[in-house]
Amino acid sequence: MNMQTAITMTAAETALVDGYTAQIGELPGEGAVLSARDTLLADLRKQGLPTRRVESWHYTDLRALLRSVPAVDPTAFAQRVDPLVAGSSVLSVLNGKADTKGAPAGVNVRSYAESLVEGVAAADLVERDADDAIGRINGSFVRDGFEIEVAEGTELEQPLELQLVQSAGQSHTRFPVTFGANTKAVVIERHLSVSAAPSLVTTVCDLILDEGAEITWIILQQQGDADSHLAQVNFDLGTNAKLRLFVINAGGKLVRQEVHGVTTGEGSDFKLRGINLLGGETHTDVTFTLGHDVPNTTSTEIIRNVLLGRAKGVFQGQIRVAPDAQKTDAKMACNTLLLSDDADFSAKPELEIFADDVQCGHGATVIDIDATHLFYLRARGIPENKARAMLVNAFVDEIVEELEDEAVIEPLEAIIAAWLETHA
Amino acid sequence: MAAVQETIDQVALIDVDQYKYGFETKIEMDKAPKGLSEEIIRFISAKKQEPEWMLEWRLEAYRRWLTLEEPTWARVNYPKIDFNDIYYYAAPKSTPGPTSIDDVDPEILKVYEKLGIPLREQEMLAGVKTSRIAVDAVFDSVSVVTTFKEELKKAGVIFMSISEAIREHPDLVRKYLGSVVPTTDNYYATLNSAVFTDGSFVLVPKGVRCPMELSTYFRINEKNTGQFERTLIIAEEGAYVSYLEGCTAPQRDENQLHAAVVELVALDDAEIKYSTVQNWYPGDKNGKGGIYNFVTKRGDCRGKNSKISWTQVETGSAITWKYPSCILRGDGSRGEFYSIAVSNGHQQIDSGTKMIHLGKNTSSRIISKGIAAGVSQNTYRGQVSTHRRAENARNFTQCDSLLIGDKCGAHTVPYIEARNASAQFEHEATTSKISEDQLFYCLQRGIPEEAAIALIVNGFVKEVIQELPMEFAVEAQKLIGISLEGSVG
Repeated sequence: MNMQTAITMTAAETALVDGYTAQIGELPGEGAVLSARDTLLADLRKQGLPTRRVESWHYTDLRALLRSVPAVDPTAFAQRVDPLVAGSSVLSVLNGKADTKGAPAGVNVRSYAESLVEGVAAADLVERDADDAIGRINGSFVRDGFEIEVAEGTELEQPLELQLVQSAGQSHTRFPVTFGANTKAVVIERHLSVSAAPSLVTTVCDLILDEGAEITWIILQQQGDADSHLAQVNFDLGTNAKLRLFVINAGGKLVRQEVHGVTTGEGSDFKLRGINLLGGETHTDVTFTLGHDVPNTTSTEIIRNVLLGRAKGVFQGQIRVAPDAQKTDAKMACNTLLLSDDADFSAKPELEIFADDVQCGHGATVIDIDATHLFYLRARGIPENKARAMLVNAFVDEIVEELEDEAVIEPLEAIIAAWLETHA
Repeated sequence: MAAVQETIDQVALIDVDQYKYGFETKIEMDKAPKGLSEEIIRFISAKKQEPEWMLEWRLEAYRRWLTLEEPTWARVNYPKIDFNDIYYYAAPKSTPGPTSIDDVDPEILKVYEKLGIPLREQEMLAGVKTSRIAVDAVFDSVSVVTTFKEELKKAGVIFMSISEAIREHPDLVRKYLGSVVPTTDNYYATLNSAVFTDGSFVLVPKGVRCPMELSTYFRINEKNTGQFERTLIIAEEGAYVSYLEGCTAPQRDENQLHAAVVELVALDDAEIKYSTVQNWYPGDKNGKGGIYNFVTKRGDCRGKNSKISWTQVETGSAITWKYPSCILRGDGSRGEFYSIAVSNGHQQIDSGTKMIHLGKNTSSRIISKGIAAGVSQNTYRGQVSTHRRAENARNFTQCDSLLIGDKCGAHTVPYIEARNASAQFEHEATTSKISEDQLFYCLQRGIPEEAAIALIVNGFVKEVIQELPMEFAVEAQKLIGISLEGSVG
């Protein structure tokens, strides 16, 4: 927006712009990659960080919320942890540095730093739209990540864990992932923080699912109380492809997880399941857009939010149905348990429909724990705090249960239980 | 159901270009020069013999307006409006202000007769209508007549044009004008504050239940004029009033601007029911002409246990930008919004409501039914928010969209903001097309397709129609049928 051009830069904006000048010599890639970075940074400098005047950032005023940007810390140390699900293949990114060792058979992995150096990554480093602050920051500073190709017909027996461990400073990574035709896999994108020092982590994942691929992608974000986490997943679903995306937020101070998808093949199906466990001072935003671009595609989205303390939660969901995308079936629900008077939650579920033969709907609720449910449990001798915990747990567990695989469900349930234990 | 049959008949009767209020009447007008400036505002103020404070109020709004930019967030597209190419004041020469019915230019009376608006009290008493309605008739920039004034006066109700009220009850107007929609509110409201010409003023005193329905009928007649109405309704403690608003305009190739501000104030235990049937000229089937309708309507439930209910049937206008809202300030207050928005041809509607929960134990209910046909775009945009100290706020929202044809669009953009753990918000939205099963059922019984669609649509909007006063409900049902004419095939 042109109104922002005249505004003086905030500390965070200055830190980003100055940081770019300081790092430019060591960021991988030259030529086209460098000029793509320059363009993104020039836009960032010109437009500044988005404010609430920018519609897609209405509830997350990044300019006000991102108060500072931690300096790049080359001495910070992080190491691998055990995978969430025993037996998983692990590809780790430690403080932004990718390690390509550990890929299972049928999965071809190379470091994104190489793509940057070779220049092929230049085509990726573009903004989604004029308000794409995450793409802009990530694209300017991206140093590493994985370029992953899952060969046609590959069925992974065990989950593949992308483990991002951060101790301090910044990391900016990208993950272009192509799932070949008829592949089956469970991928866990896990964000951890191993120190109390603040960090800024940005990631962009570009997922392409070819015909008939069936993928479960789980984002588990457990960063520290001082961390900023700006992430974006873009996906494109081919004919009959199925993507189940689970987003679980249980950490971070300032979190924005964007999910943007299009269905480009008929018969494709998308499921988004979100659990946002928000406590303390966190500000967590899940923003989702899905374009049903071709006929006969389906999607369902269910987001469950639990808010405690002084947490602020945001869900924005937009379903677009293109003019010829007849027979689209899209349903979206956002349910929130607001358990504290100091917490607040804002939702903006949007439908944008240009075809008539469709079934689209969305629902949104905000409530406290149901007094009759509580009474039922209390009447059976369960103390109030325990009864409340049971009800909150049941509210989110329903979503986890959809994963069906006990090996994945159990550790996630343990994380949810531990979070409720410490926060409730 | 007789009403349904009536709708079917209406649909069957009317041709493709269906706007039946599109006639123009040649009446000699007294106009201000084209364009907007402080001089024009002084001119309007002088014409209305306004006190000095009113002029100052207008000028202040105008100066502020000059600093504002036109909002672009709504999902409507239209060429930039040249605000200097509009007449801001146009009054019939023969009837430059409110007068008694016998002094109104017979040509103007004919207009209202043609529109089916009863202006002669005796006609209404003759038993044509079962209940009586007091009407304030606004023709371009002036109110030409207000009926039943004397009878209402006996009950203590003040019902007159706002220009008269500014002269006769300056203290009341000064107390309430701009207290719900301040001059600083938004681009169009600020413009309206500077140049508003007429509208209605209603005050229902403490404990009075207004003995009849009040209504204002707005007619834009003159070419290139903008209509800037300003309505102010106050229901004192325990009072009740039901108010209806209707609007039409001639069929023209140019677009015309209508920017209204409506303010409602409900004190303790008062109730205001505000119904609108908006049927401005929507433009022809190629999207030429039509009214740009940019309206700010807001009700303030200022007292405890007060209630404001908005019901709107939106079938006209090329562009609609309208969000009748409730500020639920008083403890236990209640806001309601019932809406049917029908768009056909090239119409664009961006409409909805805001329910702002500030007091304790407040509740609100939103029922919105959007029907899109032709190549129109129909957007529901609504906000429900609670203040941090607004305990036990309740909201229920349901917005359903029906799509007829594959060239139109229906959109839903709700904003839900909860800031208190005791808030309970429920929001539901659906979009679909007319069920083939239902259509098949009707067709099979020999009901032609278009009539069958009208029948199904009437079922779809029934919840809202029921909220309208009886006379309007029938009218609204007809209108919906007419608006959808030509949408099949």
